Amino acid sequence: MKNQWIEFLYGRVTVKVSGKGIERFLNVLIRNGIHIWNVKRHGTETITFKMRLHDAKNIRFYARKSECSITFLRRSGIPFLFKRLLKNSGFLLGAGVFLLIILLLSNVIWGIEIKGAKPATEYKIRKELDKMGVKIGKVQFFVKNVEGIQRQLTNNIGDLTWIGVELNGTTYHLQAVEKNEPKKPENLSPQNLVAKKKATIVKMFIETGQPVVERNDHVEPGQILVSGVYGQEGNTELVAATGKVWGETWYKSNVKLPLITNFKVYNGKEKQKRSLLMGNWEIPIWGFGKPEFEKYETEKDVRKIHFLKWDLPISYVHKTIREREEFTREYTNEEAEKEALNLARKQIKSELDEDAIIKDEKILHKSTKNGKVILDIHFKIIENIAVGQPIFKETPE
Amino acid sequence: MAKKWGGRIRNWMANKMDLPQDVMMDLPRITMIGQIHVYIENHRGLLAFTDKELRLLLKQGQLLIKGSSFVIKTILPEEILLEGKIDQVMYITDNPGGKK
Repeated sequence: MKNQWIEFLYGRVTVKVSGKGIERFLNVLIRNGIHIWNVKRHGTETITFKMRLHDAKNIRFYARKSECSITFLRRSGIPFLFKRLLKNSGFLLGAGVFLLIILLLSNVIWGIEIKGAKPATEYKIRKELDKMGVKIGKVQFFVKNVEGIQRQLTNNIGDLTWIGVELNGTTYHLQAVEKNEPKKPENLSPQNLVAKKKATIVKMFIETGQPVVERNDHVEPGQILVSGVYGQEGNTELVAATGKVWGETWYKSNVKLPLITNFKVYNGKEKQKRSLLMGNWEIPIWGFGKPEFEKYETEKDVRKIHFLKWDLPISYVHKTIREREEFTREYTNEEAEKEALNLARKQIKSELDEDAIIKDEKILHKSTKNGKVILDIHFKIIENIAVGQPIFKETPE
Repeated sequence: MAKKWGGRIRNWMANKMDLPQDVMMDLPRITMIGQIHVYIENHRGLLAFTDKELRLLLKQGQLLIKGSSFVIKTILPEEILLEGKIDQVMYITDNPGGKK
């Protein structure tokens, strides 16, 4: 017996033959290589049998010659199943759309939870998130990734020391830590103001306390500038000396600056590519072709696609290709000197308080070695040199 | 006469060379499985088929199978597989009284 599955695959039909000389007709069919099976007799003039769909087209030709009439009763097998599937494609489509909708909804932001922030800060965070496009109802692929959100929030909201952003399913959990800036003590304990470094006093601005030094005095570190002991002899009062004492201080700095420097810069040209990643197989969706840049760097942002609570083995990839250019900066000696000076100034400024002023600068030594300009610079700075030093009650004052 | 001679030679060869008779002599080979299946090879066509009777043409004579609820499971130019309840298998030869 032949394998029925093959027949199932190619499709089979049940044929009803009625009329006279059915046996003769069957013989004709068989001799012509038409495979039939399951022949059954129904009454005197009818017979049913099954045959291949493939042969069904030819059967009419033989039937015409005989005195039989044929009708097709049942069709079964893959071709008919397929046809029915097409006919009922609405269901299939519905199922597909249903899965698609679930897939889509699984990748939408459904909640943003902020913990550990005061209402005011929370409002700021929400506003900042809105600006970034992180809103309920947005698709996750089109907002920044978690690290990006974290960076931007930390940068843009001053009240935050740290913020942890975590994407858990469809909800962003934000854990904020606010800055607790210490309040300035209003009631200072009794203190003196002392010098913190060697300086010459230029200007004094004293709120409370008894100045001990005068202008143009030279002070050593630790020397009392303003005393917290206030009042006449024998009738003294301890106060917290406050105020500012401006002193001229000196700094020496040594800077080196190469004359020729190579930089790698992005020139702003970029190309976006979007694709789906399945295992190792990447299917581009948007942005085709190779970038026409000579030198470039690629930034890759890969997002997993979720389905309900599962991660699918498919990812959405967003590539940003930026063109890179090599840029060579060349200074002449004078320019280099100027730049080096600027550099030195910046260095000094970063070490000093904000209200410090550079009064004067003098280049002590200048040399060019190995393509580098080396400068020794002497700075005169005017800065607040006063720091508080508490007065202890035990000390006999 | 020539045909008869050929038949004789074939018969002789089959006997002497120990060849199966159905190959040499164009005889039907009938395989039965209990009462339920009959498998006939080397037939020459269908003569009549109802659910109680199957009549096949052979090279010489006819084969009549009687029973009930017959279904032809497969039919090929020289083979036929019949299913049902088989009661009798009869050879009908042209010369009267040639029942076997």
